[in-house]
Amino acid sequence: MTFFKINSACALVACASIAGAQDAPAPNQQTDLQLLRKQMIEMQASILQLQAQHAQEIDGLQAQVAAQKKALDDFQKLAGTPVPPLPTDAAQSSSPAAPTAGGSLFPTTDTTVVAASPPASPPANMPSAIPTADTSVVAEPTLGGPPITLTGGGKTYLNISLDVLINAASSTARDLENIEVGDHDPLHRGFNARNTELVFDGAVDPYFEGFANIVFKLDPQNETSVEVEEAFAQTTSLPWNLQVKAGQFFSPFGRINSMHPHTWDFIDAPLVHGRLLGPDGLRGVGAQASWIVPVPWYSQLMLALQNGEGSTGFSFRNRGDGDMFAGRETIDRQLRGVQDFVFVPRLENAFDFGSTKTLLTGISAAFGPNDTGPTAHTQIYAVDAFYKWKPANAGGGWPYVKWQSEAMYRHFEAGRGLDNSFAARETFKDWGAYSQLVWGFKTGWSAGVRGDYLHMGESQITDDPERQSRWRLSADLTWFPSEFSKLRLQYNHDILEATRFLSERDVDSIFLQFEFALGAHGAHKF
Amino acid sequence: MKIRSITLVLAAAAAFLQSAHAKLNVVVTLPDYAAIAREIGGDKVEVTSLAKPTEDPHFVDARPSFVVKLRTADVLIEGGAELEVGWLPPLLQNASNEKIENGKPGRVVASQGIRLLDVPATLSRAAGDVHASGNPHFMVDPIIAKAVAQHIAQAFAVLDPANASDYQANYAKFETTINAKLQDWGRALLPYKGQPLAAYHDSWVYFAHRFGFTIETFLEPKPGIPPSPSHLAEVIGKMKTDHTKAILVEPFQNRKIAEKVASSTGAHVVDAAQFPGALPNADSYTAHMDALVSRIAAALK
Repeated sequence: MTFFKINSACALVACASIAGAQDAPAPNQQTDLQLLRKQMIEMQASILQLQAQHAQEIDGLQAQVAAQKKALDDFQKLAGTPVPPLPTDAAQSSSPAAPTAGGSLFPTTDTTVVAASPPASPPANMPSAIPTADTSVVAEPTLGGPPITLTGGGKTYLNISLDVLINAASSTARDLENIEVGDHDPLHRGFNARNTELVFDGAVDPYFEGFANIVFKLDPQNETSVEVEEAFAQTTSLPWNLQVKAGQFFSPFGRINSMHPHTWDFIDAPLVHGRLLGPDGLRGVGAQASWIVPVPWYSQLMLALQNGEGSTGFSFRNRGDGDMFAGRETIDRQLRGVQDFVFVPRLENAFDFGSTKTLLTGISAAFGPNDTGPTAHTQIYAVDAFYKWKPANAGGGWPYVKWQSEAMYRHFEAGRGLDNSFAARETFKDWGAYSQLVWGFKTGWSAGVRGDYLHMGESQITDDPERQSRWRLSADLTWFPSEFSKLRLQYNHDILEATRFLSERDVDSIFLQFEFALGAHGAHKF
Repeated sequence: MKIRSITLVLAAAAAFLQSAHAKLNVVVTLPDYAAIAREIGGDKVEVTSLAKPTEDPHFVDARPSFVVKLRTADVLIEGGAELEVGWLPPLLQNASNEKIENGKPGRVVASQGIRLLDVPATLSRAAGDVHASGNPHFMVDPIIAKAVAQHIAQAFAVLDPANASDYQANYAKFETTINAKLQDWGRALLPYKGQPLAAYHDSWVYFAHRFGFTIETFLEPKPGIPPSPSHLAEVIGKMKTDHTKAILVEPFQNRKIAEKVASSTGAHVVDAAQFPGALPNADSYTAHMDALVSRIAAALK
């Protein structure tokens, strides 16, 4: 419909131009006249075609045409009357005189691009073949009043998009769910659809913007579970470089934790992420304040306060599957006060090295109680770094080199469980790290390698399979047919070290992932 | 505690007063707006461009340092027609600078008031990464550049009334220059009016519209989709029948592919660019257009 309106407006403008030209014909304008006539004929043809297709739309259109014609008549009347000179007039009238004495070759206005003629184009300017104004491209004289909004800004209140990840998995392990550590990873041999995201975002009002990410996961029985992964609002214009958000959101901990799986460079979650923060990562309902530190480089301090309950607060107030965690029967520890929240502080700093290289670093921590005892407590610390190189003449986002690494340490006090039913208190000192390098070597292609290590503190008492120290080496190759789809092949070699209760194990897995995205154009954070 | 808060208030007041006398801090998304902002603002403004002149404007990395630049900006000039949609929103979210919010005088959306060409009648990504509001590569039309310059002058005048007359005078000067230059550019390209040109990406529709070229053959089969061999074969056939003499390639596009097509059609590869600063010795808008026009004219000779 918009397209059509502009077309008819153009046709009218063309008519007007031809009429104007006939008033004062100039020999060097013949080609332009022909061009305009040709345009007219083409536009008429398209109008006829559309008439045939949408007969009932024509009535409305004719009304529009009449209105526009009236507006044009008014405008022509206006153009005939003398207009008080504006500063721009001098420029307009002096310019044609300078290059050519007998009128300029090229018009300097064009109402086909600039919706109405600029202020006071003197008629002397008309017989120029090269316009200096063009209302077909530019809406109206902007000086002295705000320009008409023809485009610009969002056209919807709510941006919606859908992102689907489909994985095919092959592995030497029958129990792939014990090898893969993330809940969105391929957990079973065969096809997996563990991450279908529906994303909503938009401005709430002048003060807040809202964001929600609803995830649908299919289990091996093809039952769907729904997860409100994120649903939060954040302030848009607080003073003092402050920003506050509230709702359900990813804790600002490390790098990969707050990234949605479809933006990852590998199909599955790193070991430290899945084992120390939990299969779903660290997120929850709460509030967060961020402060951009007023220094010349990028530096931001964040503090989140979240419930830290359930599987998304894995190392905190999480009762675990079957009310068991770290081998203990967990207690139902209700919130007693502020001290039972999870506190997540983070400081990130970024540095540019020239115009093509950027390093983003962060230190994070998470503190809170856990459910293995009435006084049991957990602390997790992490450092992360992300480096990207992209040349100054990158096309379509390629080529690039990205290096991303994170290291985490968890101090987990495991209590004696419900009614002191477990034999002993233990303190687990668990740590691990991963480092990955991704090379976008050719437009639409990238290749990556990743090394992953997880050290779980020895336990003399529990045979929890999650307490196995392990290595993983991964390599992947990704093809992006466009910005909205990708196909990724990944190979994993896992080495699980022997514990007091479990034997050593080697696993090889191959995954193939397909992603597609529909809807609003996503924006990419750094 | 009290003393501390008083100090904070004083510091803020000092910062405010200082900023009232300092130059307007202008941040632009793309280098063409930077060139225009410098023409209009002269020494009254400090202009920073986020994207580099040689970079693909669709895929600029949202570097964290941009947040710092946007946080302290008095003015943000953006195209607004979805060209920056892939990278600007998260930066603005993080910067949360009230002065450059949508609708504030400090937010200049260059495409406002421009009748964009090629507005799609229906939206489907089967047609590639189309821009719903129309083709956003409009600054290579000097008449549009004048309108944008006027828009910028107006915004500067509102934000910095003390220097309003300077901004208007600079705009008048820019308009005079462009009107005169249009005659030169028009004359230089007039002999080739109506000739077909090929381009890597559909970013020249406004240039074609202004100077009477037909630019409808693209090495990309659809916007944002890399060239495929079968499509290139088609392009070569079409270029031969149309006697297309030039292929426009921007710095971030694959010149090798253009060279291959050129060698099998006898056309010239023209190293063109949308942004001032991308071609040697062409940092201002007029110098850039001079270079563009002379390169195209040379290829069509």
